[in-house]
Amino acid sequence: MPDYGQIQVGSGSLDARLVLGLAFVLFAVGATGVLIRRNPIVILVCIELMLNAANLTLITFAAQLHNLEGQLFALMTMTVAAAEAVVGLAILVDIFRVRDVDDVDELSELRG
Amino acid sequence: MIVPQIVFWVMATIAVLGGLGVIASRQPIRSVLCLVAVMLALSVIFLELSAQFVFAVQVIVYAGAVMVLFLFVVALLGPMREQPSNRLRFQWWLGIVVGVVFAGFVYAQLQGIGFRAPDKVDLTVFGTVEQIGAGLFTTYLYPFELTSILLLVAAVGAIYLSRGGRTASEVHRQEEEDHGA
Repeated sequence: MPDYGQIQVGSGSLDARLVLGLAFVLFAVGATGVLIRRNPIVILVCIELMLNAANLTLITFAAQLHNLEGQLFALMTMTVAAAEAVVGLAILVDIFRVRDVDDVDELSELRG
Repeated sequence: MIVPQIVFWVMATIAVLGGLGVIASRQPIRSVLCLVAVMLALSVIFLELSAQFVFAVQVIVYAGAVMVLFLFVVALLGPMREQPSNRLRFQWWLGIVVGVVFAGFVYAQLQGIGFRAPDKVDLTVFGTVEQIGAGLFTTYLYPFELTSILLLVAAVGAIYLSRGGRTASEVHRQEEEDHGA
């Protein structure tokens, strides 16, 4: 039985497990960053990191299954990530107009 | 041929080091620049996985436009340094513990996964712009049009949030006037 996990790249091949492992490491790093950092901008950056790791998983399976739908979904993810970044940064700028915040824990009072 | 593996390992090393740099650096601008490095390294891996169009979009839209937006906001808000917080002091350790437990959980799930046999398609045209366009404008036309509405809503929301309004110094002055009266 052939090893379906090998993705053909040019004349060589690449093990899909390696790429999935990289995506897993990047997602875990991003999740840890959201938990331990308190700067709102860095938290948004860590969310982008996790979205990129998810994209890598989608594209790996698209290449492994020879199915283009994974790549189409990765493009959708990029659109949603762009929209999320725009709205998140706009909220951040709006908060900064009223007060200087370098710690999201300071925003715990639900009043401006 | 060993070249694909070498390219993958170099880019994977850059990506992981960049990811650690994102969460370890003290200044937000370094986090953003580390994320740009991660995205460029990932785009090369996308290219290896025959996702040419996604590679181009990743470099132009993601590393180009979205991260420039992040850099603009960092420059607009000025330098910020995280002060050691007296609130939630256990948060750092708790975050590390939860991150490690999560990583162990996903790693356990990854053990012994099997792969389905790939579909039979013409690999010479796989992932080209023509194929992506055919997919987006036939089978996935409806979600594709919905993303345009999503982007419109996001743009209108961002404009609404960032229109005029009072600055921090104005609010401060107003509070002082209230206090004086």
